[in-house]
Amino acid sequence: MSSATNDVTTRKYWLHDLRLVVHQVKYEQLFFWLNRVGAIFTVGFSVVFLVLLGASAGNQRVASLGGIRLVQYYVPGFIAYGVMAAGFTTLAITLVVRRETGLLKRLRLSPLPAWVLIASIFISTTIVALVQTLVLLVIGRYGYHVNFPSSWFALLIALLVGIVSFSAMGVAISAVVPNQESAGPVTSIVFFVLLFLAGLWFPLPPGSGLAKFSNYLPVRHLMIAMDRSFQIPKGVSPWAWHDLLVVGLWGVGATLISLRRFRWSPRRT
Amino acid sequence: MTLALRVDKLRKSYGNLKAIDDISFDVERGEIFALLGPNGAGKTTCIEILEGFLRRDGGAIEVLGVDPGERQHLRWLRDRIGVVLQELAVESFFTVRQVLERNAGFYPNPRPIDEVIELVGLSEKGDAKVKRLSGGQQRRLDIGLGIVGNPELLFLDEPTTGLDPAARRTTWDLIRLLSSEGTTVLMSSHYMDEVEALAHRVAVLSHGEIAALGPTTSLGGRNEGEVTIRFLLPTGVAVTDLPITSSRVDGDVVEVKTRDEVSTLHTLTGWAIDLDVALAGLTVARETLEDIYLSLTRHDREESETRSR
Repeated sequence: MSSATNDVTTRKYWLHDLRLVVHQVKYEQLFFWLNRVGAIFTVGFSVVFLVLLGASAGNQRVASLGGIRLVQYYVPGFIAYGVMAAGFTTLAITLVVRRETGLLKRLRLSPLPAWVLIASIFISTTIVALVQTLVLLVIGRYGYHVNFPSSWFALLIALLVGIVSFSAMGVAISAVVPNQESAGPVTSIVFFVLLFLAGLWFPLPPGSGLAKFSNYLPVRHLMIAMDRSFQIPKGVSPWAWHDLLVVGLWGVGATLISLRRFRWSPRRT
Repeated sequence: MTLALRVDKLRKSYGNLKAIDDISFDVERGEIFALLGPNGAGKTTCIEILEGFLRRDGGAIEVLGVDPGERQHLRWLRDRIGVVLQELAVESFFTVRQVLERNAGFYPNPRPIDEVIELVGLSEKGDAKVKRLSGGQQRRLDIGLGIVGNPELLFLDEPTTGLDPAARRTTWDLIRLLSSEGTTVLMSSHYMDEVEALAHRVAVLSHGEIAALGPTTSLGGRNEGEVTIRFLLPTGVAVTDLPITSSRVDGDVVEVKTRDEVSTLHTLTGWAIDLDVALAGLTVARETLEDIYLSLTRHDREESETRSR
């Protein structure tokens, strides 16, 4: 084994690896949509919530949010929900299951580079988030007369920051969850408590104690960032830099935890 | 280069526990080599170090000529090895073909999918979901995933643990077939019959050390040691009437231990033919691999018994 042959093969790997990303994304997508639990939890839930809440309470005006209709608050809110469900809950659960059944270890022992796996999971999560965002936008626009975002670019950036940060949080929590049995309950309970505290269903009056508390957590900030890209009320910038920064900081913190605690192999009994 | 694996004074500890304590062995290309030992003897640790999954504390290893502990060789190596873990690791809602196609894409020179499906005997299950397969079929798919990259060297960590006897036999046939095609196999097992049926050579591990190492057929000198001849005492014959010295009588069973089985049998059967008496239940047995294994690992068992008390 001369080092020269290794150099040649290393160079050839680059193109091969890019093709591998495409290959792996295809199977990550298949994995997501065939495993109906994930699809129901993200796209299914957000659509059902939006349709039901829109139909029942959508036309109520929210005084604390400048008198906008509640459904106008729900569309960006459930877009944020979808991002968090795909990046945080679904990713955390599937990672724990993959780890404990030995799937991650097997991937680790295959030629698939770790970065290809991570990139593929991220791209796949983005595809899911984009699909459900489009579905919610269409339902909001044609079902409940909610306008499209005033800045698509601001929405896209908010989506990407949300996906990266909440995926990192999903990886971090998967690293501290001990086994498959507790993966679903632990992550779902954490998730729904956070959503409730952030006012996904019942908007928090600005300045209230709960709103102040939620300002330390990432969920409400992502909802606000989504909301801003729709630019309601008028004259406000569609960019919520401060909120994106908080979400991003949570993402950085979660990445640091993940780097320290991530395991490829199942816990031995 | 005829060696597939070279292990020289390998060491690995977890805290104070010496999982692998100074073991050395070589595996030649095309060989089936088995690591045999009770749970906790260090089999999996050893395999995972050779796979490049765990780091070693000391010693030198070469896998297909490179050191798996060096990062720059790992990719090259992983293109050329196949791995089957103790856990059944297959996504349950994919079809057999989908998982194989997915993993085939990782390797530079994969085997054709249909060939793999055929080899592992799942021809009729190609489009079936993994969760619809029996335990034995899932294990064979698992082995299929291990060989889809056309590996030169295959690691099998307890390939038949938890399988029913029929599934074990088909798995053995598959391993023999792969070996006949030139694939080198490093397997671990705690089943003696499995090692006896498959492995050319075996290392018995006990407490992270090699208790015995050699060809499976002659491990611990069992091809030249004592032979035990047993038969039922013919009616109307006393033990003292027999033409040979019998070592023990247990009920009607006569047992003769000898190192010269050819002439002992000749004397015994010649005597029986002359007198026209039957030697019911006549058996000739050499020490089994199990006997050797149990005597080599006695220390382990005694210790775990004292601990459980």
